[in-house]
Amino acid sequence: MAGDKSEILQGTLDLMVLKTLEAMGPLHGYGIARRIEQVSEEALKINQGTIYASLVRLVQKGWIAGAWGTSENNRKAKFYSITKAGRKQLNAEAQNWERISTVISRVLRIAERG
Amino acid sequence: MFVWIRALASRTRTWLSPSHVEQDFEHELETHLEMLTDENIRRGMAPEEATRTARIRLGGLTQLRETNRELQGLPTIETLLQDMRFAFRMLRKNPGFTAVAVLTLALGIGANTAIFSVVYAVLLKPLPYAESNQLFNVFETRPQDGITGTGWSYANFVELRGQNRIFSEMAGSQKHQLTLTGRGEPSVVNTSVVTPELFSLFGEKPLAGRMFFSEDGKPGAPPVVILSENLWRGTFGADPNIMGNSINLDKRSFTVIGIMPEAFRFPLVTESEQLWIPLVQDPLFGSWMDRRGGHWLQVTGRLKPGVSITQAQAELDAITARLAKEFPAENDGWKIRMVSLQEMIVGDAKSPLLVLLGAVGLVLLIGCANIANLLLTRATSRAREIAVRTTLGAGRVRIVRQLLSETAVLGLLGGVIGVSLAYWGVRALSSLLPPSLPRVNAIRVDNLVLGFALLLSVIASCAFGLAPALFAANSSLQASLREGGGRLGESRNRRRARSFLAAGEIALAMVLLVAAGLLLRSFSKLMSVSPGFDAQHIVKADISLPQFQYSTPQQWTAFSDELLARIQAQPGLQDSAVAVPRPIADGIINLGFDIVGNPPSSAGASRTANYVSVSPEYFHVMEIPLLAGRLFNQHDVSSAARVSVISQAMARLYFSNQDPLGKRLVFGFPPDGQVAREIVGVVGDVRDVALGRDPGPMMYVPFAQAPFWAANVVVRSALSPSSVATAIRQEVRKMDKELPVTDVAMMPDIIEASLSQPRFRTFLLGLFAAMALVLAATGIFGVISYSVSCRTNEIGIRVALGASSGAILWAVLRETLVLTLAGLAVGVPCALAASRLLGHMLFGVSANDPATLAAVAFALAAVATLAGYVPARRAMRVDPLVALRYE
Repeated sequence: MAGDKSEILQGTLDLMVLKTLEAMGPLHGYGIARRIEQVSEEALKINQGTIYASLVRLVQKGWIAGAWGTSENNRKAKFYSITKAGRKQLNAEAQNWERISTVISRVLRIAERG
Repeated sequence: MFVWIRALASRTRTWLSPSHVEQDFEHELETHLEMLTDENIRRGMAPEEATRTARIRLGGLTQLRETNRELQGLPTIETLLQDMRFAFRMLRKNPGFTAVAVLTLALGIGANTAIFSVVYAVLLKPLPYAESNQLFNVFETRPQDGITGTGWSYANFVELRGQNRIFSEMAGSQKHQLTLTGRGEPSVVNTSVVTPELFSLFGEKPLAGRMFFSEDGKPGAPPVVILSENLWRGTFGADPNIMGNSINLDKRSFTVIGIMPEAFRFPLVTESEQLWIPLVQDPLFGSWMDRRGGHWLQVTGRLKPGVSITQAQAELDAITARLAKEFPAENDGWKIRMVSLQEMIVGDAKSPLLVLLGAVGLVLLIGCANIANLLLTRATSRAREIAVRTTLGAGRVRIVRQLLSETAVLGLLGGVIGVSLAYWGVRALSSLLPPSLPRVNAIRVDNLVLGFALLLSVIASCAFGLAPALFAANSSLQASLREGGGRLGESRNRRRARSFLAAGEIALAMVLLVAAGLLLRSFSKLMSVSPGFDAQHIVKADISLPQFQYSTPQQWTAFSDELLARIQAQPGLQDSAVAVPRPIADGIINLGFDIVGNPPSSAGASRTANYVSVSPEYFHVMEIPLLAGRLFNQHDVSSAARVSVISQAMARLYFSNQDPLGKRLVFGFPPDGQVAREIVGVVGDVRDVALGRDPGPMMYVPFAQAPFWAANVVVRSALSPSSVATAIRQEVRKMDKELPVTDVAMMPDIIEASLSQPRFRTFLLGLFAAMALVLAATGIFGVISYSVSCRTNEIGIRVALGASSGAILWAVLRETLVLTLAGLAVGVPCALAASRLLGHMLFGVSANDPATLAAVAFALAAVATLAGYVPARRAMRVDPLVALRYE
């Protein structure tokens, strides 16, 4: 199971969506996708549609909620916002993530020193 | 956990109303595309170019929609159908595998379904009476004397019915055979002698006419009778004018007042031709009604709704105490016990049937292990296909689902064919079923049985499909792709799983084979055990005397004396005798007795023996040896001194250190209950209850001193049974034209029939064990041949390096032996534990009979080695050049 890459990828994307919503407040799908691209400095080129699978999963888990609203260009769009449970989950995940990345970077440093 | 439940709930909601969700999603995608296009235009693209780029950035719309649908709801019918279609295609591509798997499953499911239909009909199906779970039989017991359940006296029954507050209705019944005359050939009909409440107790309505009123049960009432529909249609030719007319039973006229529908059967659920008369009208039991002693009336009651068994038992205990206080002479020491009618009727058929069900379940389990093994093999060769599909983006869940649909299709195919096999199997079983099995007429493949088969195929497909599917979906991607054909690198885990399955099959087969072996051995012992008499050339026939006509013991003796004299005068029929009851053919009569001069038997140590009344020739005709003293002779008549002959077992049990001859025993039927009878002889033991029961103490009396209203004949003759029967019929007719001669049969056939239950279970269990053996052998064969084909390369190298063919053979056989020994190591303790369940079904063999165990282990090892030898031969013939090129 550890070898299942797609599941880790899903998890990462979900985490990014959560983080984005926490930082930016309510956003529609397009906005979230753009934001993730910008933050990653266009390094992460995804099909923007992929974001919707992530949104469905997060809504189903109750970590975000969606509601129809009007966009800046007066278009009808669905806006997503992070819920309380979502914030909690984000906290936990973020800590976890930080711990892992610290370990990884430490390991990488050791490897560099060789 | 909570999060998952929530997600599932949301999915289910969407699944129930999908359109709204899909519209929403379309809207979102539309907006997204427009926003992307706007941005592209802002960056200076031409509108057309902008739309195209936007599409690309968003990704394939169809795929997005599909992903969304998959995430939002449960799998749609279309996806399932698609999976199924694909599964069918895959199975068609491998006809060999499919045929073997489906056939194995069909046999397993068919056999299980057939046996289950028997178990359901006999053990589980509610009795064909209204609210049958409220019906209980109530017995009197005397635990200190080992009497676990006997009938009531009518007087006690009346007390019980009057005093209790737990039964809404109670009725008493007994069985009797009465002689029906005046309608063609005189015949004997099964008669239920009942109290009038019987029909309302069962909540039954008559087909025509009326049921008994309570007046019909009172002394002096005109005799009335109710017929069963089958008797009316059969014997009475569906006579439309029968109602109100009279028929003759035991030479007394009864008015027909009603006909019960075919569906109503009582007391036995199997008897179809019978009639019912009020207790008071019966020539035998009617005269017993005013006696408080005696235990003969079967009592059935309907428990009031809401009364628990414990409450009921408490009430019964209170009544016990009251009866003992009021009528101490008859009731002291007696207790009351109730047993559900269902349990009563099922009797001792229960455990053999459950053992058979367990056995056939094991066969299916072995079959599943076999298919799982095949699937694992296939999964290995399909690893590449699965790897490609994973690379193309199929998720783990998706692949498991696909593989499971394949096994589900297999399971359902097997189930469908299995059910048709079961239809056939039930028909075949019906002819095999022992006639003594209750409720056989209810056995059929009905909806519930079909449901069982469906459930079984689903469970079976999960059992053999899940592990291989998980293994397959977990296989390492790169490894599989690298391996090309995926032939060499079977993962260790998978290989271990396959070996585990094969060894497990051996272990399960061992359990079944040991059980079958034990039953077989005990059956062959049963076949060869001597009953204590020589059954060859013995014909028996029953002549029952109508008691309204032949009412005194003098008449009974006179009749039997004359009949015997007439029969013995016929050529070839000199060796004839009368005996009631005859061993194995009839029931037994167990009577208490006292020895004159010894203290009377106290409570807790009562003496009983089986009682037989015989004419003097009996021992000679049956070839029961005289061991001491003398046999009965012509002078032992009612006016002479009372005598008896006892069996060897009785002499051993009660006269261990003394000579029984000359001692006197007190026993007998009323009015001769307290008569002392001198022991004049000791004869050999007879297995009178059943061949499988050790002979118990028996005491014989001369028929002339203790006659019955039946002249039940045994004749040893070299003539054919039919000519013996004809001769007997002729002589009986000369004496009384209206006496039927019934139940003419050969003694060996009766003994044969008495073995029908053990034969049935031995045959079936043997059959299942044989199936298990074949399946297990196939399993071993499969594992070893696969292993050989995987190792072709290695073997080639070994041969090239100079390994002898013997060494190769040994290498392969060793693998077989390791598997077999592992299987046996697990199988032996399992078999020992399982054979304990056979317990009382065994005769002359202990449940852990070492010989059987050793023989089975040896046979299994031999078969397994043979199954491994075939692929081993192939390994020996491997051509190193071909093998090395194989890569």
